[in-house]
Amino acid sequence: MSLIPFQETEKTLNYGTLRALVVDDYPGMRSALKMTLSNFGITRIDLATSASEVLFKVGNNDYNVILCDFNLGEGRDGQQLLEELRHRGLIKLDTVFIMVTAESLYEKVVATAELAPDDYMIKPFSAEIMRNRMESILLRKFAFSKVYRAYENNFLDEALEACDQVILENPRYVVDALRFKGEVLNALGRFDEAEALYKQVINMRAIPWARLGLAKALHMQNKEEAAEELLHDILDQTPELVAAYDLLADVRITKKDPEGAQAALKQGVQISGKTVRRQQKLGELAVENGDLATAREAFTAVLEKGQHSVFVTPADFGNLCRVQVDQGDPAAALETLKRSKAVLQVSPEGRLVNAVVQGMAHTKAGRSEEAHRAMDEATRLRREGVRVDERVMLDLAGTCMTHGRHEEADAIVSEVARNAHDSETLLAKARKLYEEAGRKEAGDQVLKEATADVRKLNNEGVILARKGEYKAAVDKLLTACRVAPFNPRILMNGVWIILKYLEETGMDHDLLNEATRLLGEADKLSPGHARIAGLRTQMKDVESRFGIRRRAP
Amino acid sequence: MMQLDSSAMYAALMHELKNNLGLLTMTLDAIPMNGTVEHDGRVDDARLLCQRSVDRLQQALLSYKAMNKELHPVPDAYSPLEILRDLRDTAMSLARGRLSVDTLVGDQVPPIWFFDRSLVEMALMNAIHNSLAHAGTGIRIEADMVDGCLAFTVRDDSAGYPDSILGLGPAEEKPGKGGTGLGLKFARLIAEAHENRGRLGELRLFNDQGAVFRFLLP
Repeated sequence: MSLIPFQETEKTLNYGTLRALVVDDYPGMRSALKMTLSNFGITRIDLATSASEVLFKVGNNDYNVILCDFNLGEGRDGQQLLEELRHRGLIKLDTVFIMVTAESLYEKVVATAELAPDDYMIKPFSAEIMRNRMESILLRKFAFSKVYRAYENNFLDEALEACDQVILENPRYVVDALRFKGEVLNALGRFDEAEALYKQVINMRAIPWARLGLAKALHMQNKEEAAEELLHDILDQTPELVAAYDLLADVRITKKDPEGAQAALKQGVQISGKTVRRQQKLGELAVENGDLATAREAFTAVLEKGQHSVFVTPADFGNLCRVQVDQGDPAAALETLKRSKAVLQVSPEGRLVNAVVQGMAHTKAGRSEEAHRAMDEATRLRREGVRVDERVMLDLAGTCMTHGRHEEADAIVSEVARNAHDSETLLAKARKLYEEAGRKEAGDQVLKEATADVRKLNNEGVILARKGEYKAAVDKLLTACRVAPFNPRILMNGVWIILKYLEETGMDHDLLNEATRLLGEADKLSPGHARIAGLRTQMKDVESRFGIRRRAP
Repeated sequence: MMQLDSSAMYAALMHELKNNLGLLTMTLDAIPMNGTVEHDGRVDDARLLCQRSVDRLQQALLSYKAMNKELHPVPDAYSPLEILRDLRDTAMSLARGRLSVDTLVGDQVPPIWFFDRSLVEMALMNAIHNSLAHAGTGIRIEADMVDGCLAFTVRDDSAGYPDSILGLGPAEEKPGKGGTGLGLKFARLIAEAHENRGRLGELRLFNDQGAVFRFLLP
């Protein structure tokens, strides 16, 4: 062993070609950071003070580097902003995103590589350190360029191969490549391989993200006990790892322990309460557990923290108002609508939610005439093809039943049941509505008819496909997709069967286009569903086989 | 309004002061040198004082967290050479040519090692500040493998650590000149918070033609 003088390899980065965005709500820090960047040659530097300003600027410019303060004042924090930028595809994986934080211990809460910033800089830092970090990241991005390209175009198998190549060629990036590979395997539903990979990383060192990845792979294979035990251990050692609470909640939901799931999410919210999706899930669980106070708090947080967030939909207003009405406080629900008027009036979905809640609140307050007016408006919008979250639709059905508008109620419930034929929660809620209205038998009939058709078409299609009768299977599933156009499971089965058919019999462009459309719809209805990445890869394989190579939208 | 106990309020206050001082350091960094001792010396002194104050506040904040059992390293894979480069560049920027900064690397140092970079850098930067404050002509920063651990070492050509520091455990360390002794305490806390298969990190302090600060990561 001997010591030699430390020498760096020559770098060839040209900062003059880069475009940077500095995001900080504090003017002093903004100009200090701008000065730091310009000191090492970046000339095109834009400044932003808030998340909404960033969304606007990023939509109009391609940035190579984004330097973002974690704390952006009252609105979204830097992490939420990053998630939104990635979710909306506004920045690519090769954009350098550096989170500037005031301290190291609380803010590194992210688990997935896709949603993690490239680095954290702890204030204060010198220009030299900034430059070093940026150079390291740019070199890493360069080493991963093939991986990113394949991933962003949904060629996930190619992305895995490119990761293997990085592992072989560059020992410095072995762990980074394994991390990315693990997430691709989980996205592809190859959970046993993901499990083995994470164990390989843990064998090197029990890094929190690897343990979390392993817990996810275990959960996805229904090894819930092992997943929960591991998550407890992770949280003992790194209690700030907020994504572990999210996963623990999922594990407990699968174990039919909604109260335990709520407790886990509540702990997560205490550490990081700004994440809209965490609050949404907490609210839903609290409703399921009959804890309306927590539900109200969580749904209120969704609307307050998620202002202008892409993750907030009109249904979130419906969720809060429903809880307020159920708490016997219809005035609060109407007040929520009044305060949110500007947001709700801009979209037909918002107007439908507004009408549904008005109907519910006026009914609760005994104002029949106003309730009928609201129901008329909701019916009109529905006839125009406007649709919102199933729970809001069931709210409307409930109000209609209370006022004896049974035909409308039955039609709504039937539509909800067709599109959610396998959702026990929604079907149970629908059944309860009929029981409360004293129409149990009518309800059973409506639900039976609505779900039987979809179930039958789906099951027959799957059986035909297994027998190799793909054409007949495709016909069955396409009929099912027409009957239940918003049922993600049916749509995904439709895509699967079309792809099987094309693999067996050759290319049919109309069918391929239909599969693409159905997959897009399924992704919208059930974003991030475990099957979607796999179907996407299958579709890419089919396209490649028949010489079609196109970029993802 | 959110209720704060007094220690949380002081922590928040320190946090804010630390950030303001950090901003001041960055502003001072941007003042160009003009070659006169009077000007450059003053600016340098101001920068060093600012940086030391930031470090002290950061340590005090860490102390608050550690007292509340909140010091949880989040290890990941980092390049020891990149850390060495960061340390060297910061040290050179602080030394501004008045002291020499040498960096050496062992031939067995692997491309990656696992640790919490921000905590480790905090501990090492504190050691570098101390060495720069006490060195006669220069400091040396090394990365090497020692006893199966990755070791970062900071050496200077000062008179060395006083016996009180070398002879006593962390609880009885005497404050050094111009410091509170918190820096060494935290470096040890951070080292020992790193664990690998039952082996803990270590801080070794000794004198060898000056003070030697060796930080071992399992």
